Amino acid sequence: MVHITGNFLAESPLSPKAREALADALDQGWSDPGKIAHSAAQARILRDQSMESLAQGLKVRPDELEVLGEPALGHFYAIGGLLRAKDNLVHSSVDRKEIFALARTHGKMIEIPVDISGRMEFKSLQKAAKYSGVFALQAANGETGVIQSVDELVDTAGHLRISCDYSIAGTRVGLPTKWDSAFFDARAWQGPQGIGLVAIRNQPAWQNPLPHIGALRTPQSASLPLLICAAVALEEWLEDEATEVARLRTLSAELREALRTIDNVDIAGDLTESLPHITSMSFLYVEGEELLRKLETAGFSVDSGSACTAEDLQPSHVLAAMGLLTHGNIRVTLHHSTTSAQIRELVEAVKSAITDLRAS
Amino acid sequence: MKEINCLGKRCPVPIIETANAIKELHPGDSVHLLADDPATEIDLRAWARMTGNHMKVVALNEFLITKSKVD
Repeated sequence: MVHITGNFLAESPLSPKAREALADALDQGWSDPGKIAHSAAQARILRDQSMESLAQGLKVRPDELEVLGEPALGHFYAIGGLLRAKDNLVHSSVDRKEIFALARTHGKMIEIPVDISGRMEFKSLQKAAKYSGVFALQAANGETGVIQSVDELVDTAGHLRISCDYSIAGTRVGLPTKWDSAFFDARAWQGPQGIGLVAIRNQPAWQNPLPHIGALRTPQSASLPLLICAAVALEEWLEDEATEVARLRTLSAELREALRTIDNVDIAGDLTESLPHITSMSFLYVEGEELLRKLETAGFSVDSGSACTAEDLQPSHVLAAMGLLTHGNIRVTLHHSTTSAQIRELVEAVKSAITDLRAS
Repeated sequence: MKEINCLGKRCPVPIIETANAIKELHPGDSVHLLADDPATEIDLRAWARMTGNHMKVVALNEFLITKSKVD
């Protein structure tokens, strides 16, 4: 049996405190907050407290925030709610596939290229800003961890309405000075899967993109226990975020330095312009899937953006847009529990796997 | 000019075969590569950047790779 000594996947288990909150919430928050029974009133209080806590943590107003039980729909609500038929949907070439799908369905889109460091080209955005539209601003990329200069981009975007994607960045990147809607995913602060949060700042410009009756902006069907758990996870996350970000930055710098001793490695983005917990690297002459298997056998779980590991067998559009090597790719995510010793062990395992694979 | 046929072969095979072929060449010499894996062009460009060689797309699924430096 393979013993996993290092979880470097994008997902992480819930912290003990968040897990405890979830168990308590299942006891207390089982009722429908929309009903009038005593248990429902209790559920309502728990929901309102959770929403207020989340709003405070995310630096938005409570009346701006809506919860979604299906986070993947968050982009649709955040962007689709601002998008009119005549508008362009302006997005970057490294954006999520959901945004490309939305753009394709909408029919009018402008794609902003990125440079080799993964940062959006300002000149292209300047041109796009001459027309009416919505700018889908991805604060940080989930594959490479590259952070965009959100304030400069918003300044460049002129009159475009701004829909921010903070599903990966979470609270690690501040919201820009101007925004119209924003989307968060509780997984960004090691909260539970299945909770998305949409903040709507420009309420007059936002229209519910789904068929609806009444004034409700989202279906209100998200799980209350998961919502409470997400709020507790965010509170816990914010308690030591600054320390933890600094610690992970140091670990990430160690990781990158050690990886650069391996021949022919292409590391995505510069650490100073990236989230400290995500590192994407590609090794020449190596197949991503084989590398993934070797590391799994050695006890390390990592993700990959190589074509051989993708369901559609297409290379990562993010790496391709940046002009980086797409084969032999792995993505390493550091968590609160990651230690320096684990990083050293991972690097040794990567070195050994690369040597073996290149020799075969 | 050396010809390599990697049609039907998945990346990184076309890149590995190109790198092996170019080892035997002198600077300025070229390799003609046929490859239809969708990652070939992207990976060949990245390979050229990383190894200091030169590549250009000649036609659909056809690439010309020129050795730019001594190994």
